[in-house]
This record gives sequence, C-alpha cells and structure tokens, in this order.
Amino acid sequence: MSHATKATEFNKDESKVNWHDKALWYVREKRDKSAHNVEGWEYLRQLGSEIKANVLSNLDEYLVQFESNAQKNGIHVHWASNAKEHNTIINSILEKHKAKKVVKSKSMLTEECHLNPFLEAKGIEVVDTDLGERIVQLAEEPPSHIVLPAIHKTKEDVDVLFQKHLGTKPSKGNPEYLVGEARKHLRDKFLNADVAITGVNFAVADTGGVVVCTNEGNADMGVHLAKAHIACMGIEKVIPKEKHLGVFLRLLARSATGQPITTYSSHFNKAEDGKEMHIVIVDNGRTEQLSREDFRASLHCIRCGACMNTCPIYRRSGGHSYDYTIPGPIGSILSPGKDLKKYSSLPFASTLCGSCSNVCPVKINIHEQLYKWRQIIVKEEKQPIVKTSILKTAGLVLSKPKLYKMAGKSARFALKYAPRFMIYNKLNAWGKARDLPEIKNENFDDWYKKRNKNG
Amino acid sequence: MKILMIGIKKETKMGREAILKSVKENKPELLPLPEIDTSAFQEDIDLVKTFKNNLVLVGGQIFEISTDGIDSKIMEHYPDKSSIVSTTTKSNLGNVIINKDTNPHTLEHIDLAIIEGELGVSENGAIWITASNSLVRALPFITNDLVIILEKRNICLHMLEAYDSISKRDRDFGVFISGPSKTADIEQCLVVGAHGAMSLTVLLV
Repeated sequence: MSHATKATEFNKDESKVNWHDKALWYVREKRDKSAHNVEGWEYLRQLGSEIKANVLSNLDEYLVQFESNAQKNGIHVHWASNAKEHNTIINSILEKHKAKKVVKSKSMLTEECHLNPFLEAKGIEVVDTDLGERIVQLAEEPPSHIVLPAIHKTKEDVDVLFQKHLGTKPSKGNPEYLVGEARKHLRDKFLNADVAITGVNFAVADTGGVVVCTNEGNADMGVHLAKAHIACMGIEKVIPKEKHLGVFLRLLARSATGQPITTYSSHFNKAEDGKEMHIVIVDNGRTEQLSREDFRASLHCIRCGACMNTCPIYRRSGGHSYDYTIPGPIGSILSPGKDLKKYSSLPFASTLCGSCSNVCPVKINIHEQLYKWRQIIVKEEKQPIVKTSILKTAGLVLSKPKLYKMAGKSARFALKYAPRFMIYNKLNAWGKARDLPEIKNENFDDWYKKRNKNG
Repeated sequence: MKILMIGIKKETKMGREAILKSVKENKPELLPLPEIDTSAFQEDIDLVKTFKNNLVLVGGQIFEISTDGIDSKIMEHYPDKSSIVSTTTKSNLGNVIINKDTNPHTLEHIDLAIIEGELGVSENGAIWITASNSLVRALPFITNDLVIILEKRNICLHMLEAYDSISKRDRDFGVFISGPSKTADIEQCLVVGAHGAMSLTVLLV
C-alpha cells in the first residue's frame, strides 16, 4: 500500500491529525529554542557531520578497535550479518542463562530485526519498558515515531488499553494516574527479569564502552537488576573517541525534544561483578547502504527524530503511513535501500522543502537524497499512469514557450468558467479538500512587461 | 555436541569476517577526523548560576548551603522517609547500610538515597555519578527520591569539558543524571517520575 493511501486513512480523523501536527511542531519549536541557546551550535553540527563521515570512511578499523577494547573489559562481542543472525545470537544468550523473562529498553534495531515475535514464539516474555513502547506493544502496533513511539495515541486510547491490560480504573485519560500505574506494573517486570536488552546510542572505539540515553531510567532499571545485559547496535553506532560524546550528547536531546540532555546518559564499560555483558554488532543492510555514494550519509543518523517533527508530510500523515521501522524523512531515504519496490512511494512523501536537512544535527542532506531516490525509482519502478502521462505532457509544455503561454491562458480560462466537476476531479490532486486560488486576468509575464514599461 | 559447538563458532566468525570484508569493500576513501576547536563554545557566564537555572529547567530542585547544613536541609525536604541509604560521609541520615555486594533487588523499597556527585555540567544541569559514588549501580534509579551532594567548584561549562575531566577515570559504570526521571509519552504531557527517581534534590556545597 502506498504512503498516500495509508496517509488518507490517518487523515480520516481530522481533529486527531490537527493535534498530531501541532504537537510535533511544538517539539520542533522547542528544538529551535534549545539549539539557539548553545554558543557555536552550527559548528557543533558541522563537527557531528565530519566525525560521522570519518567514522564511515574508517568503519572497519573502528569496529575492530571497539571490539578489542570491549573484550579487554570482559564484554562478550557478537557479530550478526542480518536480522536472523541477530535474533539467533540473542536467543542463544538467553538459553545460556535459562532466561524466560526479558525487559527491553528502546531499540529501533530490535524492532528492525523483529526480535519480539521471534522470542515470543520461543515462549519468552519480552516487555518493552519505555512507556511509549509499552503502550504500542500492548496495542500490538509498531511505534509511529522513533523518539515518541505512541504519539499517534490519545490519552483516552491509553486509558482504555491500560484498563484492559493493567486493570486500571477509568480515569478519562489522566496522564499522572496512568504513568503511576505503568510505573508499578513495570517495576514488577524489572524486579523479575532475567536478562535486560538495550539499544546503543553510541559505541566508543577507544574505550570499548557503550552509551544509552533515556529519560525514564528504564534502561538502567533493567540492566542493573538483571543477571545479564545484551546491548544491540548497528555497525554505524561506533564513534572514534570518548571525547566525541561531548559533541553528540550536546546535539542529541536538543534536536530530539529540546531538552539540554536526556535525564540519564549511562556509560556501560564493564559488567557489574558477577554479571555478564554482551554486545551484538549488526549489519543487516548497512554495508550495502555504505556502498551507495549518494545515500551513504544516511548512516550518519543519530536517531533524534528532528526530521520527523519538522516534516509537513510526516506531521499530517503519521508514522504508520510509512510502514517502515524508521518513518519520516530519514526513513524515506533508508527504506528504498532495503526494498526499492516495497518502499517506492516513500521518497515521494515529501515537499522537498529541505526543512529536514536544516534541522538534522549531523547535517544529512535528506531532501537531496529524497530527490535522488525519486530519479532512481521512476527509472526502475512502474509509476501510476496518471502521474506519467501528466508529467510527460508537462515536460512537453514546459519545453516550448509558445505552448506554455497557450496552456496558461486556457488554464486560467478553464478555472474561471469551467464547471466544478471538470476542475475538481481525480486528475487534480491539488484540488482535493481545498479550492484553487481565484484567477486574475493578468499572468506574471504580462504583469512583468507592464511593470517594466511603466519604469 | 562438540560438532554443534564448532558449527556455532564458525557461524559467528563468518558474521564478523563477512561484515568487516563488506565494510572494507564499500567504505569511501579516508576522510579526516576533525580537530575540535573548543574556543567556539567559550562563554563568559556564571557557571553556578547557569547550572542552577538548568537544573530547575529539567525538573530538579537545588539549594546552595554549607556542609554542616546538609542533614537539616534533607530532613526539611524529605521529612517522612523511613528507609534511607547514604553512601557519603557528608550525611548521617542513612539507616540502611549497603556495600557493593548488596543485592540490588533488596533496594526495592528504599525511600531516599543520598549520594555524592563527581562533577556538574552548567549547560544542562547534568551530574556525573559513578559506581563508586552509589556503591550499587541500581541505587540512584531504584530509590524513590534522590539527593545528590555536589561541590560548587566541580561545575564545568559544557560536555566537552566534562569528558576532559573524567577521561582518567576507572571505567566501569558512570551516568550523567539531569533531573528526576520523566516521560511525555502520553499525549506529550510531561509527567515527572517514570521508572527512576520521582524527585531530585541537589545540594551545592
């Protein structure tokens, strides 16, 4: 199903869409305020981008360095070429610990690898412990945003879900009550978990440690109570030196939610005495993306979600309309590399306004990459007949000035005098749910000539 | 059994080698690692004042007091706490004794933890805590409320300076804590007290 079709679904509830749009724009505004408070912010973004570019150009060396430093600290390091290997490795660690109960803190990678259903099929209880993730897990839905996983849910939705699954009282969606109940429910899960799984925000080559950022404290509650910690990371998460965290932690939370830093930035370098720590390093299509010169920079991404919050399409279509683990502008340049056919509509889910590139903390040229994917897709994938024929005609008209003039005249005539059904129909996407502008007699060309004459 | 084990080992090795080979083949030519010019981030500001403002912004409370006023300040703000852990000699209020071998599950009902912070960061109100400050790693997260005692002279300007200061540490576990735990996952309404501490009070001495 194309992005547009799914977006239409989301747009059925107009008030919800308006709320979604405004809520995310508010987060974008908080990001601006927070960024403007930092002396040298643009230089900081430049550094972030250059460090990441260096990482990709020396990735194998950094990964080997990271592995050997981690091993020196007693951490077990595993490598997985794809999702299946990733899941199998995790399962074997769980088997070793005879683990039946697992708590997980937010990790887009384990979503990407569909770890939960894999483990659940083996009779293991997997509980997502980030509140937003827990909400979507109970609703049996994927997250719709990488930082705000349940942004598509109203507080009333959450109320009903919690009544059903946690046995809460109806509260008309009182957020404080609901968070309090979730705290109790998840405390119990933390205290009884055998193993904790987390994602990785940054893996540091020169120390062999990993950093995990949360606001709720769920990663730490999980890790420090369980017998073993498994941290899962994509190969692109490695950074050269610990001091570079000073660059990335300044960028991450400000870009994500406008906070100056997340509540907890936890540095795991060694397992606690008597416990075990594992790191799983995953490729799953990343080295393929690395090979594509035009799209390589998409691997700079630090998963802040700023491009989603600012995107006029994302805000009005919702994360689920993308049907990919990472939605929004960044997802639309990552997903075609995974499956060009399945995700061929995503690079078109953009106005190419460039706002995503402007807010990206590591300066990924997202909108340019969207445009480049479009060029590949129209060559390789069959396009809808309406689009191809209209574009063909437009190409012809635009290349011939006389024809263009005539077309403009007849369009102005038609918009003024033609009956509504001829203007507002399936062929005119711009006339959907809105009226086209009122037509003046003069066009730009006439106006410009007259203006010049009048000096 | 033995054959199976060898098989598994081989497979994991394949993953490693295959990934590294693929990276080598696909990576671009080496690009330079930038030098960080920290003068671009220099600001002539009152570090303590900015730290205090940011700590309040992230949901914490902060008081500048003298060392001998620590316990009375804590009692004033947390009058009815029964299980208290203190891992610092600067407070005598602790009534539950822990050491680094304490099972973290036994800390489930701790009402208040009092620990020392190593370093404060003025740009974001974050405080660096290590496993040696908290003895048990879970403590600052599992406790209901948290008090951190921080020396004023240990406040730095920004995160780059912070990483400079902690670069020589013994690395096992460390965390920057900025405020109490929080979430905005229900309709973007900020609720303080998610899974970690419900409140954070910082005592600057």
